[in-house]
Amino acid sequence: MSYLADNNEGVQHLLLGNEAIARGALEAGVKVATGYPGTPSSEIMESLSKVAHGRNMYVEWSINEKLAMEVAAAGSFARLRSMCVMKQNGVNVGSDFLLHLALTGTREGMVIIACEDPGAHSSINEGEARMFAGMLEIPLLEPGDFQELKDMVKWAFDLSEEIRNLVMVRSVTRLSHGSGNVKFGKLPEIDTNVDAGFQCDGFILDPDKGAMISMPVNHFHGRLQEKLKKAREIFEDCLFNTYNGVEKPELLIITSSACNLYCKEAIALLGVEDRVGLLKLGTTWPLPPELIKKNLSRTDNIFIVEEVLPIMEGNIKVLAAEMAPEIGVKNFYGKNAGNLPTSGELNPDLVLDALKTILSVEYEDMPESYKKKAQAVALTGAPNRELTFCPGCPHRASFWSIHGALKLDGRKGFVCGDIGCYGLGVLPTGFSTIKALHAMGSGIGVASGFGKLRQFGMDQAVVAVCGDSTFFHAGINGLLNAVHHSSDVTFIVLDNGGTAMTGFQPHPGLTVNAMGDEVPGLDIAAICGSLGIRVEIGDPFDLKGTQETLTELIQDKKGVKVLILRKNCALSPERKNKKDYEMHIDEGICLGENCGCNRLCTRIFRCPGLVWDQERKTSRIDEAICAGCGVCVDICPAEAIKKKEAA
Amino acid sequence: MRVFGSNELLKDVLERDLCIGCGACMELCPYLKSHRGKTAMLFPCTLPEGRCHAYCPKVEVNLDDLSLKFFDTSYEGTPLGSYRYVKTARAGEKVDNGDFQAGGTVSALMSFALKKGYLDAAVLTDRKGILPVPRLVTNPEDVFTCSSSKYTAAPTLLACNQAIKKGYKRTGVVGTPCQVLALAQMRSNPMKEKDFTDPVGLVVGLFCTWALDFRAFEAFISEHVDVNKITKLDIPPPPAESMEVFAGDDKIEISLDEIRQLIPETCSYCIDMTSEFSDISVGVLEGRPDINTLIIRTERGKNIVDEAQEEGYLVVGEIPEENLEHLIWAAGNKKKKALIKGKQDGLLNISEEDKRAYLRVNTKTIEKIIA
Repeated sequence: MSYLADNNEGVQHLLLGNEAIARGALEAGVKVATGYPGTPSSEIMESLSKVAHGRNMYVEWSINEKLAMEVAAAGSFARLRSMCVMKQNGVNVGSDFLLHLALTGTREGMVIIACEDPGAHSSINEGEARMFAGMLEIPLLEPGDFQELKDMVKWAFDLSEEIRNLVMVRSVTRLSHGSGNVKFGKLPEIDTNVDAGFQCDGFILDPDKGAMISMPVNHFHGRLQEKLKKAREIFEDCLFNTYNGVEKPELLIITSSACNLYCKEAIALLGVEDRVGLLKLGTTWPLPPELIKKNLSRTDNIFIVEEVLPIMEGNIKVLAAEMAPEIGVKNFYGKNAGNLPTSGELNPDLVLDALKTILSVEYEDMPESYKKKAQAVALTGAPNRELTFCPGCPHRASFWSIHGALKLDGRKGFVCGDIGCYGLGVLPTGFSTIKALHAMGSGIGVASGFGKLRQFGMDQAVVAVCGDSTFFHAGINGLLNAVHHSSDVTFIVLDNGGTAMTGFQPHPGLTVNAMGDEVPGLDIAAICGSLGIRVEIGDPFDLKGTQETLTELIQDKKGVKVLILRKNCALSPERKNKKDYEMHIDEGICLGENCGCNRLCTRIFRCPGLVWDQERKTSRIDEAICAGCGVCVDICPAEAIKKKEAA
Repeated sequence: MRVFGSNELLKDVLERDLCIGCGACMELCPYLKSHRGKTAMLFPCTLPEGRCHAYCPKVEVNLDDLSLKFFDTSYEGTPLGSYRYVKTARAGEKVDNGDFQAGGTVSALMSFALKKGYLDAAVLTDRKGILPVPRLVTNPEDVFTCSSSKYTAAPTLLACNQAIKKGYKRTGVVGTPCQVLALAQMRSNPMKEKDFTDPVGLVVGLFCTWALDFRAFEAFISEHVDVNKITKLDIPPPPAESMEVFAGDDKIEISLDEIRQLIPETCSYCIDMTSEFSDISVGVLEGRPDINTLIIRTERGKNIVDEAQEEGYLVVGEIPEENLEHLIWAAGNKKKKALIKGKQDGLLNISEEDKRAYLRVNTKTIEKIIA
């Protein structure tokens, strides 16, 4: 079993932030853990899945975040501590359920972990789940370092039980994917004799024995607000809200989450410890008013440091306005004053620059001459690299065929896509084929709409793509909508055999679950076939066959057509480091830049395994990178690319 | 002749809707393909000069250059182009495969040339259902399977490019005027390749007043009849004014007025009714659906007709004066209308460096035709 399940209280480990969260949950004795993969959250569930059997837990990669929340809630209702993990936009997916769950409340502790991605390193949005805490009227905790990731997650379960409602814990990429020292606490005994059950035969308004129903809404909404009030009182004395600095500083920084680390670093670099006080809040909603009042009273100048939107800033300002008769009017620095950006990630430099200006401090991070040289080198020295599909990726082949089929069709057709590696279909690596890219499952959803616009004269071919995991997550809904309304859409499932982008987590199409147990796999083709529509299955590496099928499907204007393109991801355990073919290029035949080719393979197809030899004016195979899939053989107009079966 | 690249081809031809889909730009590179009558450019090519632009019959066609090359004279704009004589013809008794439209002259000539070894391959137009498809044949008997009239534009010349790629040295081509024009450009070595030899052994041009847009035609015709059941299309020579569609046991007649709605705009710019850059041009003799009109233009065209006649593959006769007169009138009329349109639309002899003309021809000839 993983070291995360070692019962070695007091020992310090260097942990990935997400491991610290998992350890916190284990120390809290979590019994039911659910989630849907999404960067930067996935390692939490992966860590728990490894210890699930040993710790007598139930760990589930649910088909989507809403399901994950619902399954976790069942755990809580049945007297089991439960947790639900997702990335920022996952909270949106489940928010409808949360709106109701917040009203019914929970029983045993239930914690939602939202790992957000300021700067959108691995996302196509910069969503804020923090807003949901305000909207749903539930407490929000934001750990400010790696130790707190563990400790606050553990505490979140206690808090949840105390107020009988779910608690949201927010992490960010730099915490979840950073590493730091974490001192372990005690693990509870493995409880093999759990007596779970859902008591629901009591008086309807009894939170412990009644039904979990949010009616009468007035009553439950009032009760929810009482719970929030209780949380606010608890937060007044919470040890995760800390102040560091002189009693009466010139400037008070209020911060939370990873910004805590940036602020500490900026203060130290500027050497302004005697001028600046740092209030780090671990409980950012609801804010504890007395604690805020006490700290705002230290000075008239307040600088609020948080990532993306000024949510905490707004909440503090409301309190400050209410308290103004007592504490006086404050000068605020932060997002609204323009000291920090309202989009993108923060870092120590951004905080330092703002602080420098606010305090009128001189600071040179590097000599001017060095800076100039570095900038010059950066402009000329670093090659411009854009995101690309891996060598051997089935998506490159799929998009090649999709692009070709749409061009042959000639009606200015386009692809609607959603979230997965295949989202790179918007870029040249996918031949810029995707023209509408939105949420999980939105490809077929939006396409379903486009496909109904024929009566208004829209004649363009409409294609939707969706991954296998996304198919189950939310794609299936869009498909049902499109089929029911006879929308003229070609729906392509890019089935690469797992939730590939986040690390091959299982999904319902596979015969294994998060804990490694055998489960029934659901057949996407059979599901689609049961809808009475045309379903074709193809191998994306068969370019000719795929393109012929697709061209025919696209031009068949009768309702929804499905093509399932099956080929495992190049990085999957089944294919990684295994070449089907040894590739080479016959330089004598390669047309290079001449009319008849003009570098199709290295200019357009652009698999990283193909390189252009500038001096010899031919293409070459980069053997270290080439995955040996053999697809490029079929794109070469001169038949200069050769393959032979790998030994 | 000015040669540009595929970017210009896209701008000047595809985006101007001038492409007729003749196939001249296809099978040369991975970028240009034909699908159900439409030409698609799959990806942009960055080369400043390419064969696609050089061969295209819809941009920077220099009629004077071509005329000098093939007929030793600048383009004079006579209605039928340069020719030696005009005759009538039909397949002779040696041709026992009688299931062709009109007189069977084209099939007879091509199969004869293949049989005698004057050609090593022939580029023809077959069909799948009503979709015309290019076909490269080497067996003389296979010529007859392609003998029907198609009436929709076809990418026939891609099979010619395939033949050249496969190394055939004497390929015969049967094409419409636009295809024959493209072929003439191809044969005049526009890319100035070293060691160039003309790979085309015989060009049989067809008479053509227009070719339908395949997709529009298919959509139209499927409103009248099950497309999959169509066995034959025919437009009898004037004065008949209809298209006959044979499907199963049914024969449907569709008024040519309706059919003409499906003619692509690009045909109205075409100045050539009789495939002026061919060796031999063949059409239907007016009023005689079983006999062809034959225009012999070149030495090799003449030789092969003479030989085919001698050996009983072709029966050649004199053309009635009124038929010839009407042919000249019709061809001249097409030329005149097209040139007026080209001039009105500013597509003739454009002199700006960054713009390409549709057609280049000496102003004397233009004035003569338009006057």
